[in-house]
Amino acid sequence: MNKNNILEEFTPLFEPKTVAVIGASAKGGALPNHFIRRIREFGFTGEIYPIHPSAPEIDGLTAYKTLADTPLPVDYAYIAVAGAQIPAMLEAVKEKKPGHVRFAQVISSGFGEVDEGKDLQQQLVVAARAGGMRLIGPNCLGIFTPRGGVTFAEVGPQPAGSVGVVSQSGGLGTDIVRRGLARGVKFSGLITVGNCADVVPAELVEYYFADAQTKVVGMYIESAKDGRRLFELLRSGKAAKPVVILKGGRTQQGLAAAASHTGSLAGDDRVWMALARQTGCVLVDTLDQFIDALLTFQSLTPKATQPTKKVTLFGNGGGTSVLATDYFARLGLDVTPFDAATIEPLAALKLPPGTSITNPVDCPVGTLQQDDGLVAEKILDIIFSNGKPDALVMHLNMSAFVGRTKPEVLDNLMAAALRVQQKYPGQAHFLLVLRSDGEPALEERKRAFRDKANALGVPVFDEMSNAGHALAALKAHEQFVFSRTGCA
Amino acid sequence: MNPQDLIAQARAQQRTALDEQAGKLLLAAYGVAVPKTLTVKNADKVDAAFSQLRAPVVVKIMSQDILHKSDAGGVKVGLQSAAEVKDAINAMAASPKIKGARIDGYLIEEMAPAGQEIVVGGVRDPDFGPLVMVGLGGIFVEVLADVSFRICPITRIDAQEMIEDLKGAAILDGARGRKTVSRAAIIDVLLKVGGENGLLMQHAGDLTEADINPLIVSESGAVAVDARFILGQA
Repeated sequence: MNKNNILEEFTPLFEPKTVAVIGASAKGGALPNHFIRRIREFGFTGEIYPIHPSAPEIDGLTAYKTLADTPLPVDYAYIAVAGAQIPAMLEAVKEKKPGHVRFAQVISSGFGEVDEGKDLQQQLVVAARAGGMRLIGPNCLGIFTPRGGVTFAEVGPQPAGSVGVVSQSGGLGTDIVRRGLARGVKFSGLITVGNCADVVPAELVEYYFADAQTKVVGMYIESAKDGRRLFELLRSGKAAKPVVILKGGRTQQGLAAAASHTGSLAGDDRVWMALARQTGCVLVDTLDQFIDALLTFQSLTPKATQPTKKVTLFGNGGGTSVLATDYFARLGLDVTPFDAATIEPLAALKLPPGTSITNPVDCPVGTLQQDDGLVAEKILDIIFSNGKPDALVMHLNMSAFVGRTKPEVLDNLMAAALRVQQKYPGQAHFLLVLRSDGEPALEERKRAFRDKANALGVPVFDEMSNAGHALAALKAHEQFVFSRTGCA
Repeated sequence: MNPQDLIAQARAQQRTALDEQAGKLLLAAYGVAVPKTLTVKNADKVDAAFSQLRAPVVVKIMSQDILHKSDAGGVKVGLQSAAEVKDAINAMAASPKIKGARIDGYLIEEMAPAGQEIVVGGVRDPDFGPLVMVGLGGIFVEVLADVSFRICPITRIDAQEMIEDLKGAAILDGARGRKTVSRAAIIDVLLKVGGENGLLMQHAGDLTEADINPLIVSESGAVAVDARFILGQA
């Protein structure tokens, strides 16, 4: 589909002017009542039409008997009632002119995900088609679209961002929204798609590719539904944006009744690895890695002309530095010692004994508290200007400062870090790891530091391994683009 | 015979797979080198056939009742003369595992020059369509499952990366005193099988699985010595 068509088709879903809600109770308390409250709190400014067979009013809003009775056409219908009723409700729109309802998202379950619901799902698809609408779900939770003022998740007002997500799981979709927001991820949209009876993930990815606000696309997928279409989309020229895929159910099992070696060796795992190698999308294994990777692509601009190779680690914690160096190496990230051009100016700083200035640069608290933390600025300056790494991971074990230094030392270290990385824009990917031990006061400071860093486009991670995986994801994307475009 | 006719013929004969000769003709139609092969009905026809081939040759039984030819004693390699070929055919016809089978004839085939055994395969994924596979032959495939898959159609760079992804890829570069193996020849076969307009794409509707095993690859080229193509429901 061409770019304008896909934007035209899906914009009413991500920026609805009118929302119909089926399943809200006149007495309140049902999930759709919460949905109405959530989108009002979230800042939805369009019309909300509760649909109810008898109640004249729900949650202070005029209710309508059927989807066909709403005064204005419905961009988005949120439907959470017993499944068996729904096909007739969608078909009722048939008498209206086509397009009276653009999108119906069916939250209810009991459809294709269970054997006895397969027929009902087929009826649902037929009814949606007869009613002239596109169907999302069933068996999902809803859409989170800050730009459209609609949310299924319980979150306060949120700014729109550049991360677009499609999730086949509703519950995991909620986790991605809530945990992602807490980490500083800003969404251009997140939609849960459940059984994908009509709209398939590839269509939504195509929308995100065409959408100017989206910079990176994330997918949680259990079964591709239309894998061929996804493959062809991802390998097309439209796929210039990074795509991160968290795949559930990656079995290694081959075809059950294979008649060949090849058939017995082909498993779901192999197919998704193939997809990643051929299209440059990044496969991750855990929810943490997924959010870390999305945050990274949101914050850092991939360098297709110079894929990430040389990494510098700088922070406090000797063991942490050693372990991280090993871990990064296993991920294919190169933490090799500096040459003389970097070591000499670092040595000239005459840092106290116990400081290692090769790479990893390991500075105990005693070193970092020099000049109340401003020493970090000098060290970072030399790393940037002389070491010229492709990526610099700065890590602070905040616990180690407790009871040893004035509180402002950590503030100064943070300020120094953020200042220096701004001095060398685009030169090296800058990642920050803030390590804490869960102590409430420390967590509070960490959160404040994280917000400050996020505001400047610096992604913040909880542990070195998280930063390592994020950097490996960035590198994989950069290398793919580099290998396919011949950038040099 | 054009490729689609080979498949139509197998279907007309109610076969669920192409026989070896049809499989090789299919490969040849896509430009994959196969050994020069002639078929004979029985030992009486050997002299005429043998004179057109370069020894040594191999004889293989052709029977849809026999899936694993070697296990049934239906393959004899390294034959140098027409007399040896006749003896081999007579011995096969009399062997207990073959006696009761429907025999379509015997394949007499020039033996490929020595080289590394490679497996190239195909399988139709229900979601993604045809996939192509490459692996090193023998224990690398059978025990270590050291193979790499891609979704068809593949590009040249995909084919290169498929080979690089193999844990045993260094063997192709002449590890442990072996001769080097032509990666270009493997890439060429992968593209003919799994590339744009390649065999698997062109016959995606018919083929559910394919094994080219072994593909013998030397320093200079690749020859498909055995091939199996499984047909799906028409």
